[in-house]
Amino acid sequence: VRCQLSPPQRPLQASAVLRRVSDEQKKEPLASSSQQQFDSHPTDHQPEQEPQGPRPSYTGQGGQESEDYESEEQLQHRILTAALEFVPEHGWTAEAIAEGAKTLGLSVAAAGMFHSDGSELILHFVSQCNTKLSELLEQEQKLVQLGEAEKKPTDQFLRDAVEARLRMLIPYIEKWPQALSILLLPHNIPSSLNLLTSMIDDIWHYAGDQSTDFNWYTRRAVLTGIYNTTELVMMQDSSPDFEDTWRFLENRVADAMNMGNTANQVQSTGEALVQGLMGAAVTVSNAETSRAVR
Amino acid sequence: LPAGGVSLRLCSTRVALEGINKPVIDRIIRVDHAGEYGANRIYAGQMAVLGRSSVGPIIRQMWNQEKDHLKKFDELMVAYRVRPTVLLPFWNVAGFVLGAGSALLGKKGAMACTVAVEESISDHYNSQIRTLMEEDPEKYKELLQIIKRFRDDEREHHDIGLEHDAEAAPAYSVLKTAIQLGCKAAIFLSERI
Repeated sequence: VRCQLSPPQRPLQASAVLRRVSDEQKKEPLASSSQQQFDSHPTDHQPEQEPQGPRPSYTGQGGQESEDYESEEQLQHRILTAALEFVPEHGWTAEAIAEGAKTLGLSVAAAGMFHSDGSELILHFVSQCNTKLSELLEQEQKLVQLGEAEKKPTDQFLRDAVEARLRMLIPYIEKWPQALSILLLPHNIPSSLNLLTSMIDDIWHYAGDQSTDFNWYTRRAVLTGIYNTTELVMMQDSSPDFEDTWRFLENRVADAMNMGNTANQVQSTGEALVQGLMGAAVTVSNAETSRAVR
Repeated sequence: LPAGGVSLRLCSTRVALEGINKPVIDRIIRVDHAGEYGANRIYAGQMAVLGRSSVGPIIRQMWNQEKDHLKKFDELMVAYRVRPTVLLPFWNVAGFVLGAGSALLGKKGAMACTVAVEESISDHYNSQIRTLMEEDPEKYKELLQIIKRFRDDEREHHDIGLEHDAEAAPAYSVLKTAIQLGCKAAIFLSERI
């Protein structure tokens, strides 16, 4: 389930409107999105196709202002991406979004397109991180398939994937507790839960999970628990390069692997026990029969 | 990741996921997987009671076919990255109980259960085939072939059941209606949960 923010897509001359409102000199034209393929594809899925950060087409396109119909959603993504740079200073707020809009040559009124609590900014960031993680895992998988890398054992794979994803929080770690509490607001829960579950599903998919029974749920639940607790530990970790966090992560993953082994052992023991009892019952009934015959 | 046994379009066990109607395919595969799983358990229940009777071999043969169906849906589930239904543990028990219960009504009872279930499943497969044909027969060609083949198998099971005097079972029409109602509910739930 790949999910991103999905405001309805409408071809909108939003960029044109905001440009008229802006006081500042236009820097690069925002126009050059005409070669972006927005007209053919709905933009709220297939994250692998969306370039990260500022779109390359906006650099060095000369001074032309062609008639573009950048969708509102694309514009919002650009503003939010630009706003991330200001989060360490302003937090996940409308100020950060306003600053981001300014760097794109838009009016600070552009921040009015978004909620005042910074929800969209945070969700956008989470979605971006998840996409980066998917790409990373995809590349690793390609290397393994080409034989250029060793396939990692499951526990190491999970550790590395969770670590890679959590490391993306490091530049914003000061303000991340604020973000977490905003993500827990009722109106954000569906989106944040969706993003979390699809990320966990992605990690398991690349780890090679092929379960088609209830294990599918158990594994994802366990990994979600590991991810969330490690994230919380990271918030309070002050060790150099968060080594305490990674050690915590290693221990939790080891626990999870043990849990799996223990479950198997319990099952084998149970089966052996049942067989033992059946054998005993047969023996007793044979003994009775032979005694009755005598 | 082991290579997929069937000709799938991408490397390893994955299928090109872009461009397909994911919600629709998700539901189809999830509910079909649940159905084959349930059918497996039903035949297991029937075998537990009637395994050593004269219809034992017939039931076993049908059960083996259902096992193949389940295996195929396991593969499709991984290839299309579909989640299984949460209710699987429940269908595990319910299927076995239905199979064993109907078998306790006698061989004809077991056959009646088979007829009811297989008729439900064939109708269900038919409506899925219609849905996929309406969507895009070319894009879903492979899936369509699989579902058509399975529908024919289920139809065959249904006919085998009739041949073995299913209609002479005690309270045949009541039994059949009740079982088919249960199947409809199971399908509804498994598609969603």
